[in-house]
Amino acid sequence: MNTMIIEQEFEYVKPGSLFEALDILAQTNNVKIYAGGTDLIVKLKTSGINMDAMMDINGIPELSELTASGGNGLVIGSAVKLSRIEKHPAVKSNYSALFEALMSMASVSVRNMGTLGGNLANASPAADTAGPVICYKGILELMSRSGIREVPAEDFFISSGVSAIRPDELLTRIKLPAVNKNTGAKFIKTGRVKSDIAKVSFTVVIEREGSKIKSCRAAAGSAAAKPVYLRTVSESLKGRIMTRELITETVDRIAGIIEPIDDQRTTAEYRKELIKVIAADAFSKAWSLSGGKLI
Amino acid sequence: MRTELNLIGKPVSRHDAWAKAKGDQLFSDDWSMPGMLFGKVLRSKYPAAVLKRIDTKKAEELPGVKAVLTAKDVPVNEDVTKFGQMRDVGGGFEGLYRVLASGRIRSKSEAIALVAAESPETAEEALKLIEVDYEVLEGVFDPREALKEGAYSVTGDGCGNVIMRTKICDGNIEEAFKKCDVIVENDYETTPNEHAYLETEGGMGWIDENGVITLRVGTQVLEHYRTIAKVLGLPHNKVRNIGVPVGGGFGGKEDITVEMYIALLVQKTGRPVKMVWSREESIESHSKRHPEYLHYKTGATKDGKILAQEVSIVMDGGSYTYLTPWVQMYSTFAAPGCYKIPNVSVKSVSAFTNNTFNSANRGFGAPQVNFASERQMDEIAARLNLDPVELRRRNVLHDGDRLPSGHVPRGHIALKELLDKVNKELNRSSKPDRLPDGRKVGRALALGHMVYGRLNFLHDSSRVSIRLELDGSVTLRAGVPDLGGGQASVLAQIVAEELGLEIEDVHPYIMDTHLTPLCGTTTATRQLYMSGNAALKAAVQMKEKILEKASALSGCPVNMLALKNRKVYSVIEPETISIPFVDVIKHLSNDGEVLENIAQFNAPFTEVPDLNDIKGELNPDITYTCHGVELAVDEQTGKIELLRVIAAADAGRVINRNSCEGQLEGGCVYHAWWPTMEDLKQENGITMANSFSTYLIPTAADVPDIESILIESGGGLGPYGAKGIGEPADNSIAPAVVNAIRDAIGVGFNKMTVTPEKILNAVLSFKNKE
Repeated sequence: MNTMIIEQEFEYVKPGSLFEALDILAQTNNVKIYAGGTDLIVKLKTSGINMDAMMDINGIPELSELTASGGNGLVIGSAVKLSRIEKHPAVKSNYSALFEALMSMASVSVRNMGTLGGNLANASPAADTAGPVICYKGILELMSRSGIREVPAEDFFISSGVSAIRPDELLTRIKLPAVNKNTGAKFIKTGRVKSDIAKVSFTVVIEREGSKIKSCRAAAGSAAAKPVYLRTVSESLKGRIMTRELITETVDRIAGIIEPIDDQRTTAEYRKELIKVIAADAFSKAWSLSGGKLI
Repeated sequence: MRTELNLIGKPVSRHDAWAKAKGDQLFSDDWSMPGMLFGKVLRSKYPAAVLKRIDTKKAEELPGVKAVLTAKDVPVNEDVTKFGQMRDVGGGFEGLYRVLASGRIRSKSEAIALVAAESPETAEEALKLIEVDYEVLEGVFDPREALKEGAYSVTGDGCGNVIMRTKICDGNIEEAFKKCDVIVENDYETTPNEHAYLETEGGMGWIDENGVITLRVGTQVLEHYRTIAKVLGLPHNKVRNIGVPVGGGFGGKEDITVEMYIALLVQKTGRPVKMVWSREESIESHSKRHPEYLHYKTGATKDGKILAQEVSIVMDGGSYTYLTPWVQMYSTFAAPGCYKIPNVSVKSVSAFTNNTFNSANRGFGAPQVNFASERQMDEIAARLNLDPVELRRRNVLHDGDRLPSGHVPRGHIALKELLDKVNKELNRSSKPDRLPDGRKVGRALALGHMVYGRLNFLHDSSRVSIRLELDGSVTLRAGVPDLGGGQASVLAQIVAEELGLEIEDVHPYIMDTHLTPLCGTTTATRQLYMSGNAALKAAVQMKEKILEKASALSGCPVNMLALKNRKVYSVIEPETISIPFVDVIKHLSNDGEVLENIAQFNAPFTEVPDLNDIKGELNPDITYTCHGVELAVDEQTGKIELLRVIAAADAGRVINRNSCEGQLEGGCVYHAWWPTMEDLKQENGITMANSFSTYLIPTAADVPDIESILIESGGGLGPYGAKGIGEPADNSIAPAVVNAIRDAIGVGFNKMTVTPEKILNAVLSFKNKE
């Protein structure tokens, strides 16, 4: 291994239109998408990738668009750089958990290269933006010559490195629906240093109605073989009065559900302890941001 | 006549500051030449093996490959390890230096073959075509195992794995322990750590128009050109290293790195060759800090007077000797700590293992023992129910105190002042038990002492030359490798100060083995002390000549003249008697005076001590430090956060305030996370954490503001009373951090790495016990 060079030979294509890109995907085997390259290039250098062609999607105008949609919703092109998203005023005000996830990622220089589309399509269990996109009910638009599919973010991740994208499909847009009022959200991540991949991350978005939880969506990162939407826990909280006891009971349930592993960054055992702490913190902060008082 | 200092002590911009800030500075990898080849090293797959067969035929036949070298192609493949010394020391100090592997392989990543090819890709492909047959052996990876009877022999000579044994004894340790009210005994373990310089090892070489093998390689030790010449079978004057500003060294570029391989490939091919190591290759193959296994037994009276300390140290030397014996001398010497202890015994042993070789790393053996001895102080204080600061105050060394070797340090010992200043700053407000968010707060400090300047028995020297130009500017020539610490700029500052010029009037030409006077190595925190004194001497001698000429011109006596603002002037009548500096130079030139001056500074010389009973002065002087830390511990997750760091040192005399504070801050960042985070994850000789995504170091976002306190006692042996600061700056921060964790949660950690996972476990079991 020599990380100063890319040993592997491959074809490099840079389509100028979505049409052209989908044609390439339909006609070529083993195409890897280059959006920001912050994972792809590292993998190419360290372990090699089964790839005949690299398709750079930075020349496709639609994929670099970041636009507001109906109400206060947001549509983010898959090649939009992370640093551009974090600077968008609507992200900080309406999607604060996504904003927090973005700010926790790597370094300024990496965020200037990396993209939201890449972070999701890479399907790492540790992808920081996965939790917020799941909890904000994000929809991933997958396009191919045969049509458009819209996949809810929670169904997008299959296993480590594997997503719902078919070889002929391209992740084109990430759609975040409008956020209702009285909603509070929190993303918390623990790493070894500020600029690190998560030991564990946790996201929760809570919509409040008086002292009750109207709806709740929670997700965990680096806690299983993929970013996980904690569906049963989330749904069971619907209509409940938010209390400290409820949080304690809920985080214990979460620690029981997740299936973390031992790896370079920490142990499964520690992850189970850690998620209780950060999830409890996230629940109480999100609730307070929704305007609720904790009893 | 000496007037007020103009530049010394000020925050002066270094001569190379703008080039570095703007990215104009060229480093090793920035150079190239037409027709250049790319060099690459084939390294061993196994940490312990016998090299049975190498077949390079297929690699040689690959189009674009210009040379494949193995041990048999190296004119002199084996020599003793040198690192720039002017004197052969011999004894157990100089171990085997083997260029390319033959016979027994001692570590993974040991160099087996070299390739030069038309492109980096071809060189990489050629490595895969070299067939190597290994007989894999079991190896040994823990020095404590390596020292046992019947252990695997790393060298294969069957003479055991001991590299060196040393001992320092003073007083009567057995009797003294009987008089102690408390005896505290602990085992400590320190981990190897990575230098983590920005620039990996690299450079290029070519044969110049005079047939000289010429290198442009960043190194801490230009004098390796002598070993390269020997290995190539050439006289010393036929191998030259021009050097390049080094993108960080920290000891990792003290041993020979790429320069030998480049020189061999240049000699073989006759073409320019470049070699730059990838980050992974760098981390896996260059030296690491010696892991040490330390046992401390300390006895004190109930009123907090330490009477006796017994220390035993086992060091992991790794695969080859390199600098192990020298590092061991530093560890042994520094082991008793910063205290006056009448009865001391320090025994140390270093052993070969099949780990990556261990050698120089900022602190050179001092940080390991400093960690243990300063942790030990807080454990003794806890046992005596005494404030750790007070315990230190009652025992610290003062001027005139004798060290266990019998040596009385020449310079000032500022330990008491440092302790009091840091304690006052650290506790300027009373410590809260917890932060508002519930995290526990801990505060602690630690003292440090580390020598600057090389071991006296190396007979160290340095030379600096200055030349007056006819326009009044000055050319300074010094073979000083600049690692980014300002080692070259400080010489220009000293010369400018003495000649009454501005720093920009003095241009340094540095680090060329054959065109600049040899300054010796940029190691051992020696450049300011050694080359600073040589520069001062050269400038003062030149100043005398200038003043004599100015006196003749003006009629004013020499002792009434001074140099400032590019003028020679009378201190009594500055308005009437004032001659531009440049005019005096012109007169000197007209009169046929030599406008160039080279001066040499010699350190104190002693002989090699008896290693079984080390006595006398080992190094010229010592720099003292104190670090204070306030941190928060999250008892639910075990995470720690540094809230405040106070770094204090007696710099003797600050020369460039920017550089000096920069060293203090850099030292903190270098070692504050060594005990709690940095972990190479070495498993049976294999470095698992071989990149910056797996071997984590803090970034600017993790580091709190560092409050620097610089004491200027004037009690150093460098120019203007300066002491060395580079290595001592990282010395006492690590124990301060771990002591602060103890202060916060009541659990003392003695073995690195103190991860959040371990802290959480400790908190949970501590609470269970309660």
